[in-house]
Amino acid sequence: MATKDNAGKSAVANGRGKWNVPTGRRTDEWSEALVLVGESQDRAAFTRFFRHFAPLIKAFALSGSSLSATHADELVQEVMLKVWQKAGGFNPEKAAASTWVYTIARNCRTDMFRRLQKFDTALASDDFELESEEEESFVVLHTRRGAERVRELLGDLPPDQAQILGKVYMEGKSHSEAAAELDLPLGTVKSRVRLAIQKLQGLMEA
Amino acid sequence: MVEHHPPTDFLTEYVAGVLPVAQSACVAGHLSYCQRCRQLTDKLEDIGGAHFEQLDPQAVGESILDNVLARLDDPEPLRYARNEASDARLPGLLDRLINGDYADLAWKRVTQSLSISYLKTGDPHHEFALYRIADGGRIPEHTHGGSEMTLVLQGGFADESGEYHPGDFLIREGWDKHSPVALEGEECICLAVLDAPLRFTRLRHRWLNPLLKLRAG
Repeated sequence: MATKDNAGKSAVANGRGKWNVPTGRRTDEWSEALVLVGESQDRAAFTRFFRHFAPLIKAFALSGSSLSATHADELVQEVMLKVWQKAGGFNPEKAAASTWVYTIARNCRTDMFRRLQKFDTALASDDFELESEEEESFVVLHTRRGAERVRELLGDLPPDQAQILGKVYMEGKSHSEAAAELDLPLGTVKSRVRLAIQKLQGLMEA
Repeated sequence: MVEHHPPTDFLTEYVAGVLPVAQSACVAGHLSYCQRCRQLTDKLEDIGGAHFEQLDPQAVGESILDNVLARLDDPEPLRYARNEASDARLPGLLDRLINGDYADLAWKRVTQSLSISYLKTGDPHHEFALYRIADGGRIPEHTHGGSEMTLVLQGGFADESGEYHPGDFLIREGWDKHSPVALEGEECICLAVLDAPLRFTRLRHRWLNPLLKLRAG
């Protein structure tokens, strides 16, 4: 592994040009809106973005039915404010807008769960993000990342594998919680997750 | 080169945000060393993004949008800045928890070659601690009643199943016995996350076991 110092320097040296690699520029509407928000604090673009994503964030908050409607609305506000604040760091070459919003929503929901459980921790989920100097500085991502590509692939998973991924990702259940809920041995849940990921990973690289 | 990684099902739980905070912090530490796992977690996030896009949208009131628009100019909350004086080799999150040099931590000496420093994560079920093993020193043979997650931060160690270097990540479950020995040449520092206390198995070390009761929080 390169030392952090070196990684930091190369990231600076490469500057913004580092993403100008032919990995298939993402031109979808939501990535463009997000770039406008990041670059010029465009409120109209933000409003469009809100109208599309806020109902998804609310659905995410309510899946697994562990948050009330009031908390779900609170989560929508928190996430959308973060979207506004962090949009400058969004890189359309690196992630789809939906994936980017998903990670913010996930972090905010985890923190909200912890707050509601009066969980005493100094760590917020954002602290778990790698510092930019720790991220890839000039490594070209060989696989075109894309939630839209994965979405097509998800339909091909056997239903029992898809069901568990949904519980873990959207409902926020751990593997042992999913196992208890579905009345399955933990080992079965884990192996279904592994098989599903293996399959998706293979297809994403294909 | 990092050679020991968290299992994929475990990384999936990490990405989905369902791991307990202490375990999450340990995985995040590994990621800062490991490009392979960073690339895998990027893909796992795309899988999350794909699920997210397919959710059934739930109506959000217009007043919520108005509230958000009214708050766009609020000052952003301050973010943590790296401690200048700290050991620059540490991943940012661990740097924050350690908050200074290893030498400044409160170390509790357990045996001649092993000291432990407990860090606070707020996780009510997991102990989050640094183990410091003297150059070439051995941790007496022990077992666990639960899971033990280890991330090597400095130096290295070897046990019955292999040799581990900075960035390597290990999980042991249940009652496996092992007796790690620090590699020669440098003091070894590891992060260990436990959900049940360490139990020394040899008669001459067992009297130490009460000292090792789980310190979660």
